[in-house]
Amino acid sequence: MIKKIIFFAGLVILTTALCGAEVWKAPDQEKAKERAKQVVPFIKEYNDVSQIHRRISLMDAGISLKDVTEAYFLLDSPIIKKREDHYEPVRFSHKRHANLTNDCSKCHHFRPKDENELETTRCSACHQDSFNPDHPERIGLKAAYHQQCMECHQQKAKGPTDCKGCHLQNVPDHKELVKLPDNADVFQVTAECLRCHDTQAEDMLTTAHWLWKGPSPYTTGHRKDIMHGKGTTALNNY
Amino acid sequence: MPKKDVDLKLVAENVGHSSRASCGSCHFNGGGGDAVKHADMSRQLLEPNRNCDVHMGGYDFTCTECHTTRNHKIAGRSSSVPVAEGEVTCQQCHSDEPHYCGSLLDHHLNKHAKTLDCNVCHAPVYGKCKPTKTWWDWSKAGDKKRKPKKDKYGKPDYNKKKGEFKWEESAVPNYAWSSGYMNRIFIGDKVNINADTINLTEPVGSINDPGSKITPFKMMGGIQAVDADHDYFLVPHLWPRNKEDSTAYWKHFDWEKAFQDGMDAVGLDYSGSYKWKETWMYWRLDHEVMPKEMSLSCVQCHESLKGDKTCNRCHQDNRNVDFKNIAHKGTDFSYMKSQGRDVEHLINKTDYINFKKLGYKGDPVIHGGRFTKLPMGYEKHE
Repeated sequence: MIKKIIFFAGLVILTTALCGAEVWKAPDQEKAKERAKQVVPFIKEYNDVSQIHRRISLMDAGISLKDVTEAYFLLDSPIIKKREDHYEPVRFSHKRHANLTNDCSKCHHFRPKDENELETTRCSACHQDSFNPDHPERIGLKAAYHQQCMECHQQKAKGPTDCKGCHLQNVPDHKELVKLPDNADVFQVTAECLRCHDTQAEDMLTTAHWLWKGPSPYTTGHRKDIMHGKGTTALNNY
Repeated sequence: MPKKDVDLKLVAENVGHSSRASCGSCHFNGGGGDAVKHADMSRQLLEPNRNCDVHMGGYDFTCTECHTTRNHKIAGRSSSVPVAEGEVTCQQCHSDEPHYCGSLLDHHLNKHAKTLDCNVCHAPVYGKCKPTKTWWDWSKAGDKKRKPKKDKYGKPDYNKKKGEFKWEESAVPNYAWSSGYMNRIFIGDKVNINADTINLTEPVGSINDPGSKITPFKMMGGIQAVDADHDYFLVPHLWPRNKEDSTAYWKHFDWEKAFQDGMDAVGLDYSGSYKWKETWMYWRLDHEVMPKEMSLSCVQCHESLKGDKTCNRCHQDNRNVDFKNIAHKGTDFSYMKSQGRDVEHLINKTDYINFKKLGYKGDPVIHGGRFTKLPMGYEKHE
C-alpha cells in the first residue's frame, strides 16, 4: 500500500515537473549555440589582395574593436559535424581575440567580391566542405580553423595548440562497451571499469580527492610538505 | 559502498563528463548542508541565474573548464584547505589586462587590476543567491531545552548537535591584502590560547608588496575547543561509528568523551581540560562572478569622485566622455533589492572596500595610491 502511495506521488511530481517547469538555459550560451547552427551561403568569389593591403584597407575604413558585434562564439558548425562528430563545441572569445591581435585582417583576410556582402564575413562563409571540386584551392572549415588558430597560437607562443586545449572529447557511448550482468555488484562494476581504465585508476590513487591529503605549496612553513589535508592535519571551525 | 537500490550497471553504461552536479554533490554541501561553508558555491549553481554567476549562468561553464585536470589531479588553490594540485586564476583566461575594449576607462581598470583581485569589483557581495553560515558557536551545543529560531532568511539559529549559528546573505566581503599564500594552523600546532581570537587561516600579504592584491574573503567565525594544558586545538568525535558507539558527541552530548576519542583518533594527547576559544577563517571568494554591468563603479569606492561631473580632476576637460555613465553607474543594488536580495543598506554606499582599513591614508584619489604618491588635483577642488 505504502509503495503504491509513493508510486502515485512520484508520478504526480514527475508530471508536474515535465509539464510545468521551464527548462533552465544559460542565455549567452544559448545564443551562441543558435548562431553555431547556422550555415550561410557559400561565397564563391573574393578579392584576392595581399594581407598588408587588406589590413590597411580595414584600418583606413576605421574598422575597430567597437565594430565587433558578436563577442562570443561557439565553434560547432554542422558543416564539420555532418562528416565527423568527435568533439564538443569550442568556445571562442571573438572580441578578446580581436583585441589581442589588434588586426582584423589576421582572420578576415579577404573580402567577398560582391559589394553587397559584409566587409568581414564569418569563416564558414568561405570555408565549408573539406574539398570543393569547383574551388579546389579553398581549404575546408575544419582545416581553416586549425590552420588559423594553431599557427597563431604557435607563433605567439600563447593559447592552446593541442587537441584537448580547445576540444572536449565526446564520451563514447558506453552502453555497447560495458559488459555487465544485471544487478552487478560494486566489485564487478569496478573490475569492468578497470578493464579499460587501469591507467586512470592508478592516477586516481595518487590524487588529493582520493588521499584527502597532498602538496601544500601555498601554505607558509609547509610549502614542500605533501601530507597535509582533511585526511590528516587540516583544522576548521565548522 | 553505494546504496543497495542503485543500478550500478545503468550508472556504468551512462558514464560521462563531470558536471556542476557531480562536483557539486560534495562541494556545494561543505560544512554539512547547502551553502553552509562556501559563500560562493551552492546548489544555486546547478541552474544559476546569469546575475548570480556569469560563467555558469551565462555561459554554462562546468567546473573542469577552469579547474583543468591532468591525470585526475584537479587544479585549484583553496584558502580553506592546504592541498593544491595546480592553480586556477581569472588571469589564465582573462590575462593581466582583462579590460580590453580600448577605452580610457579600460586603461584605468587595467591599472586597478594590478592592485585588486577581480572579484573585488566583479563579485561585490557573497552568498548572493543563498544565505551562508558565518558564525558557528560549538560551545552552545547540547541544550535540550533551546528551541531553534528562524532568522530573517528563514535559517535556524540553533541546532542541539552543532550549537549556535549566524547566517548572511548578499553580504559585503572582508577585504584583505593577499599574495595567494596562507598562514594555517594544523592539528597539533601550538597556539596562544590566551589570545582573544585565533585565526585558523589568514592570507599573507601587504600593501607594500607589489605582488599582493586586495582580495575579498568571507569570514567564518566560531567558538571551538582548545586543550587548556597542551595549547592546541581539540578534535571532537561527532558521528557515532555504530550502534554501540559510547563516545560520539552527537549521541551522548558529552564533550569530555568526544574530545578523548577524537584526539585518540588523530594520535594526540588530551589533557582532560578544555576551554572555548573564538576562531576565524578567511575564505577567499572566487565564484559567483557577476556580469560586468553589475560590477562596482568608481564612485562606489572613491567617495571623492562623487561630486565630479567630468574627468577634469586629472584630464583636460575637452573630451567627449560620458563621465557620469562611466563613474557612477555600477552594481545596481536597487535592482538586486527588487529581486529580493538583502542589500538595501548598500544602495548609495561609498568607500565600499574601506581604504583606511587596508592601510591607505584614505581615498587614493586624494591621498595617492600605494606606489603612486600623486594626489589627483584635490586642492583645485577644495
